[in-house]
Amino acid sequence: MFKRSLALGIVSGLLAGIAGIVYSKVYFTMNQSDFSKVVSAVKIISVSVFGGVLAAIGFTLLTKWLNNRGEIVFNLCFTLISFASLLAPIAVSLPRTIDAPELFPGLVIPMHFFPALGWYTLKPIFIRSK
Amino acid sequence: MKKLFYPVAAVLILAGSAFTFLTAPGWQIDKPYSIGFSIGNEAGIFKDFQGTILFDDQNPGAGKFDVSVKVASVNTGNGLQNTHIKSGEWLDADNYPQILFTSSSIGKKGNGYEVTGQLDLHGVKKTITFPFTFQKSGQAAGTFTGNFTINRNDYKIGKPGGDVADQIKIDISVPVKKI
Repeated sequence: MFKRSLALGIVSGLLAGIAGIVYSKVYFTMNQSDFSKVVSAVKIISVSVFGGVLAAIGFTLLTKWLNNRGEIVFNLCFTLISFASLLAPIAVSLPRTIDAPELFPGLVIPMHFFPALGWYTLKPIFIRSK
Repeated sequence: MKKLFYPVAAVLILAGSAFTFLTAPGWQIDKPYSIGFSIGNEAGIFKDFQGTILFDDQNPGAGKFDVSVKVASVNTGNGLQNTHIKSGEWLDADNYPQILFTSSSIGKKGNGYEVTGQLDLHGVKKTITFPFTFQKSGQAAGTFTGNFTINRNDYKIGKPGGDVADQIKIDISVPVKKI
């Protein structure tokens, strides 16, 4: 079970990372706001994969402890944690050499939901519901 | 009368040219300058700074600073804070787009210098005095460094009291090139 969850976590994390990079390129084209010093492509991929692996561990533990209810609790927690993590880009103080920090949340906030979206989208392929 | 014209003209030209020696040399503001401020734990910079700097380290009394900072160029690193600082409650960038400083006297003090002048901030003009140093890099470049503290209540910035500290610490570092 953990093997499939881990594979799902890594693949959904990678896809979330790729989606994040594409989104950052689109955002840069639209706003000409360069945050690459703070949010590089490597960082986007590594944080997304980290989130996916963390989700895999959480999913495995919860489904083991709570059986059928585990997935419901996991989905709820994953969504809530994604929401709660929005506080970070809103409150963060960027290096003052970076222009237009007011555009930073608009770049990062959608990315915080990409790992969860990737997980929910790909889960039926990796793990069949009981 | 005609006889006097040339002697008077000569005296006037001489006198005029003598005053040019008393004028301090001009310096052009170079990058990267830093106009920073901190209030308690919060800090930021102003990214747009310009003006005229006349200064002679051997004759500081002949110097003159006439500089301005664009309020809208404030950057704390956080977009919400930037918007808040520029709002009517704080620096009111719409009504007071510039912070101006014009010196009235510059003199030596200790190992450095001291400038007195008028600070025009948030529509309030006050005379302030603060120390600064000038570090020469060769003959054609140098860096002005100074810091001072103002009380935001003196300039009607923000609401008095509350959790925000009253003292605003200003840190200035301006590299210059000789014009």
